[in-house]
Amino acid sequence: MKRLTASIALAAMTLLAAPLMGQDIVIGNLADITGGTGDVGKPYADGIKAYTDYINANGGINGRRIKLLQQDYAYKIPEALALYKKFKDQDKVIAIQGWGSGDTEALKEQVAKDQIPYWSASYSAHLTDPTKSPYNFFCAPDYSSACRAGLKYIKDNWKEKRKPKVAFIYPDVGYGKAPIPGGKAYALELGFEIVGEENVDLKALEATTQLLNIKKKAPDYAWIGGTKVSTSVILKDAKKLGLTTKFFGNIWSADEGMPKLAAGAEEGYMVVIGAALYGDKVPGMKAIEKFTNGQPQVSHWIRGWVSMMTMCEVLKVAEKNKELNGPGIRKYAEQLKNFDTQGLTAPITYTSTDHRPFMSVILAQFVGGKMVKKATIDLPRKQEWLGL
Amino acid sequence: MSVAHCGDFRQTYKDDMLVLRTRFIRIAVGAFILLLYVSPLITSNYVTSTMTTIAIAVIGALGINVVTGCTGQISLGQGAFMGVGAFACSYFMRVVHMPFWLAMPMAGLTSAAVGMIFGLPSARLKGLYLAIATLAAQFILQYVFMHLDVVTGGSNGIPSPPPEFGTFAFDGDRSKYYLTITLAIAAVVFTTNLLRSRSGRAFIAVRDHHLSAEIMGVNLFKYRLLSFAVSAFYAGIAGSLWGMYTGYISAEHFTITESINYLAMIIIGGLGSVLGSIFGAIFMTLLPQVLTVGTGALADIFPKIGFLIMSFKDGVFGIIVILFLIFEPDGLAHRWRMIKTYWKLYPFSY
Repeated sequence: MKRLTASIALAAMTLLAAPLMGQDIVIGNLADITGGTGDVGKPYADGIKAYTDYINANGGINGRRIKLLQQDYAYKIPEALALYKKFKDQDKVIAIQGWGSGDTEALKEQVAKDQIPYWSASYSAHLTDPTKSPYNFFCAPDYSSACRAGLKYIKDNWKEKRKPKVAFIYPDVGYGKAPIPGGKAYALELGFEIVGEENVDLKALEATTQLLNIKKKAPDYAWIGGTKVSTSVILKDAKKLGLTTKFFGNIWSADEGMPKLAAGAEEGYMVVIGAALYGDKVPGMKAIEKFTNGQPQVSHWIRGWVSMMTMCEVLKVAEKNKELNGPGIRKYAEQLKNFDTQGLTAPITYTSTDHRPFMSVILAQFVGGKMVKKATIDLPRKQEWLGL
Repeated sequence: MSVAHCGDFRQTYKDDMLVLRTRFIRIAVGAFILLLYVSPLITSNYVTSTMTTIAIAVIGALGINVVTGCTGQISLGQGAFMGVGAFACSYFMRVVHMPFWLAMPMAGLTSAAVGMIFGLPSARLKGLYLAIATLAAQFILQYVFMHLDVVTGGSNGIPSPPPEFGTFAFDGDRSKYYLTITLAIAAVVFTTNLLRSRSGRAFIAVRDHHLSAEIMGVNLFKYRLLSFAVSAFYAGIAGSLWGMYTGYISAEHFTITESINYLAMIIIGGLGSVLGSIFGAIFMTLLPQVLTVGTGALADIFPKIGFLIMSFKDGVFGIIVILFLIFEPDGLAHRWRMIKTYWKLYPFSY
C-alpha cells in the first residue's frame, strides 16, 4: 500500500507541475523508447529532443520557448491513447510529434476530431490524403514512394533485354503491407515481372522457408519491407542459401548500424533514406554537428530533427499570425511551400489537398560496411498516387 | 452506522438472499455509485477517460474470472475474444446498419459463440493442456483479424462508429464514461448474482473437484462450455466498448499481451471474486499510467538520464507484480477483507 501511495503522490506532483509552464508552447511527443520498435524509436526521439533544445537556445518560437513533453508509450496502443488524453486535456498541447503506425493509426480519427496536428514517423501513404487524415503530417518519402523509387532506379539501370524479375518480402503488418499495392502496380507499369511474394515476421529469427521459395523463382531483385532486425535475418539467410537476388528495402529496413547486425551480408543492399546522412556537406549539418559535438547519429535521429524543425517553422508562422492553435497550425502547415531544411531533406511542401512533403527519394547502398548515398530519384507528383 | 450480528442469524429466505447486509454497507455502496456518476462533473476529462478504461477492464476481468477464477479453466484467449466483440460490433454497425444498442449484445453473442467453439477442448483437456488450447485460440483469432479484411480491415484496422441515441451521439469523454460505467455496474450485479445461482454453484463445484461434481449430477461439459460462453460474452461487450472508446480498432491491440494482462488482473485482484476483478482491473490499468507519469516526472527533473529512467518502467512493473504474488497471493480482495475485519472489531480485536 505504501508503494502505491508513493506512486500516487508522485503522479499528483506532476499534475500540479503542469499549469506552471506559462508562456511556453507545449508540444507532446509520443515516443517508443522501451517497446518493440525502441531500437529505432529512441534515436528518433533523441533527434526531436535535440532540435527542441537547439531552437530553445537559439531564440525559440519568436522568443517563446518550446516545452516538449516526451513520453514513452512502449508501442502499446492503450498507453498511447491514455497519454494522448493526458496531452490533450491536462497538458493542453497544441501539436504532437508521434511515432509509428501503432499510435498514428489509433489516433488518426481522434486528432482529426480534436484538431491536433500530428507529425508522425509512420510514413504510410494513406496519411498523405487530407480528405481522410486532415491533421496528419510527416517529413519523409511515404512508403509507397520509397518502393517506387527503388523500382525506378533498378529499371533505369537495367541493361538486359528481358524483363527484370522482382519479388516482395514484407511482414504481415500495416507498415509492411502499406507500399505493396502501389509498388506492385508501378512495377508492372515499368515492365517488371512480379515472381513472388513472401511474409517474414518482424520478430523472425530465420527466413529459410521463405527464401527457398524466393530462390526457386530466382528474381533479380527483391523488396524488403521489414525493420532492421528482420532485414538482417533475411540478408544473412540469403547469403547462407546462396541467393543471387539483389535486395532493396524500405526506410526502416536498415540504418548505419546494419553492418554490425548482418556481419557482411549487407554488402550491396540498397535502402531508402529519408534525410541526409551524418557528416554530409549540407548547410543544415553544421548545426547538428555542433550540437552533437561531432558524435555521429543515425539517419533516424536526423529525421527526428527535421520533423521537429518543420513543425517549428510552422509554429513560427502561426505564432506571428496569432493563430497558435490546432486549426491555425494546420492552415499554415498547408501553406508551407518549398521549406528549405538546409539540405537535410528535399524542400518540404504541404497543400490543403496533398500532404506529401516531397517526391524526391534518396537511395543509399552498403559498400564495405558503410552506408553511402547512391542516387536521388525524383518521382512525379501524380494525383492518382495520393494516398496509395 | 448500523451493526451486524456477531453470529449468523438469518431467519428468513429474504435475509438469506441479501447481498448488501447492513444499512451502512447499503449507504456506502449507494454513495460510491453516486460518486461514480458525479465524478465526471468534478474531475478532468483525463481522469474520466482513465475511469472509462478501468470500467472496460472491469467487464473483461469479470468475464475471465468466471471461466478461470470460478470454473478453474485457464483461458489465455480473453484478449482475442475482446477483439471478436470489437470487430463484430463495428461490422454490425457499419455494414448491417444496426444501432449500437443491438450491435453490442449481438457482438457479445458472436464472441460467446466463438468462445464456445474454443471452449470445446475443455471436454477432454484440463489445466495446462487446456491453457495451451486457448492459447491456440488467441493465435488463430489474431490471424483471422489480420486477414479477414472485409470485417476487420486487415492490418490497417477499421473505424468504430460512435453509438447514437436519437440525435445524440456518444462521442464525448463524459457520455462514453456514463455508458461504460452503467454497463460495468450491470456486469458486477449480474456476476454477483450468477455466482450464487445454480449455474454459479456448478461452476465452483467443477473448479473445486470435478469428480465429486460429476457424481453430484453436475454436467461437467455443459458447465465448462457455459463458463467459456459467459466469459467470452463479457469479453465481447468489453471489446465493443473498447471500440467505442477509441473510435478505431486495429488487430495490433488484441494480442497475447492483452490476454495475459487480463489473467494478471484477476490473479492480482483475487481469483473467483467479483470484488477481486474490480480491484485487479483498477490496479492493472492505473499502474502503467502512474509509472509513465512518475518516470516522466523524474525524467523532467533529471533530463540527462531521462530515457534511462523511462526504461526502468517495465522492470518496475514486473517487480510490483512479483511482490504482489509473494506478499498478497490471495489477491487484493483478500487484503480488502482483512482491512474490513480489522476495522469491524477495532479497537478490541481480541
